[in-house]
Amino acid sequence: MISIRNVSLTYPNGVRALDNVTLEIAKGDFLFLVGSSGTGKSSLLKLLYRDAIPTHGEIVVDGIRVDKLRGARVASLRRHLGVIFQDFKLLNDKTVWENVAFAMHVTGAHTREIERQVPRTLDLVGLAHKSRMFPSELSGGEQQRTAIARAIVNNPKLLLCDEPTGNLDPENTAEIMDLLLRINTKGTTVVVATHNQSVVDRMRKRVVRLEDGRIFTDEERGFYYLGLGQGQVLSG
Amino acid sequence: MDWGKVKFFLGEVGRNFTRNAGMQATAIGTVAVTVVLLGLFLFVRLTLAGVGDRLLKQIEISVYFHTSATTAQENHLRDVLRADRRVASFTFVPKAEGLKQLRRQTQGSIDVSILTQNPLPDKFRVRVTDPSEVAAVADSLRGQPGVANVVYGKTIVGRLLQLGVVLRRISIVLIVALLFVASIIISNTIRLTVFARRREIAIMQLVGATATYVRMPFVCEGVLHGLVGSLVALAILGIGKAALWSKLALALPWLELNSAHVALAPIAFQLLAVGVAIGALSSWFSIGRYLRT
Repeated sequence: MISIRNVSLTYPNGVRALDNVTLEIAKGDFLFLVGSSGTGKSSLLKLLYRDAIPTHGEIVVDGIRVDKLRGARVASLRRHLGVIFQDFKLLNDKTVWENVAFAMHVTGAHTREIERQVPRTLDLVGLAHKSRMFPSELSGGEQQRTAIARAIVNNPKLLLCDEPTGNLDPENTAEIMDLLLRINTKGTTVVVATHNQSVVDRMRKRVVRLEDGRIFTDEERGFYYLGLGQGQVLSG
Repeated sequence: MDWGKVKFFLGEVGRNFTRNAGMQATAIGTVAVTVVLLGLFLFVRLTLAGVGDRLLKQIEISVYFHTSATTAQENHLRDVLRADRRVASFTFVPKAEGLKQLRRQTQGSIDVSILTQNPLPDKFRVRVTDPSEVAAVADSLRGQPGVANVVYGKTIVGRLLQLGVVLRRISIVLIVALLFVASIIISNTIRLTVFARRREIAIMQLVGATATYVRMPFVCEGVLHGLVGSLVALAILGIGKAALWSKLALALPWLELNSAHVALAPIAFQLLAVGVAIGALSSWFSIGRYLRT
């Protein structure tokens, strides 16, 4: 699904965000990207949805050389993957329904298709009853679920999440992670950048740790800290 | 046809247009002021050009023959004039007719009846189609057989033509400057509305909107600015002309201000087109810097 080969990224201001990163992510995978702030998690995600271009190396997402895309092809790529953020990035003057429908309008979808798909997606994220509300009238968890609905309404093969629970309380965090898991079981590849240790340790998925822009560890069914459960770290 | 899409698009334009009334008023006002100035300028220019043209049209070339000139020579010149495409019209004034005219013109001041013989030569009066050709036509006639002298208001033609050229150059410079300044002001106004919506633009691009898709509502908004602004300007110009023009013409009778020949509909259409173009182009360029590709 995703193939990152020898990728380095240096920002114009000279900051080196990624240093020779190579990573393969299989179709249907659920992967956590962990590491402290500024280690390149967000940068890695940005490369995948072509919000940044690598200084070196190549990136293939679903058979497409993402690092070579320009203009309208970037737009086309983004329609085939979903992205969610810590700050939700919703359009505040649009209702929940309109926010989700917007992602379909952009693709040129037919109105009939939109009217069929949006309620289905809102149902999946449990917001069918709040479809006429504006983001400001929703809780943080509900806003994030709206963002998830927008991200998956076009049935993407890949869902990228940049600190999806960073602004949420533990209860909402658990709900959002359950939702992501459900989306994953339907076949969507999910990549979650986070530094929420309890989430990572509870779910026991593949964990890739970045340190200083390099891959430090890569572990199947891993913990937030390599080989250690949460309790062990706290006591140590 | 998917009417849902059309509705969605118009909804986007309408929503943007009604959201920030102050900003919209500023953009529309700028277009209106520009178009009023432009319209005023075009109208005055056309009127003045009309005054100049009228004066130039009255310019006549008088071609005098030698008293010894033969009828054959005169007929030859008639053929030359007829063949010359630059010549609009000509009349032959035989010396007897010339004397009659002289008598009429000088009646009461000079008594021409004391003349024992007619001292006037035969002549042609020639008018040309394009005033700028007067000098060339006059020169070409000067060398014809039997022609003694060719006379026209050389200085006044020269000055009028020069005035026309200067007027045209000044007006081009002024129009360009006016449009340039207006575009900058409008782009800046629109840039403010775009700036207020940069987050929205970033999100649109994030979910896969193409640059064109993001641009279209903004450009339509610009077209609306242009359209409404120009219509306001046309209303102001129309009212202004009805209220002031006749008074101005009365106050400055020596200018012979006559705007009857100025076709108003094409000007109105041009102004509308200019307004819409300014609005659309400024939007197009203002949003460019917020589109990341």
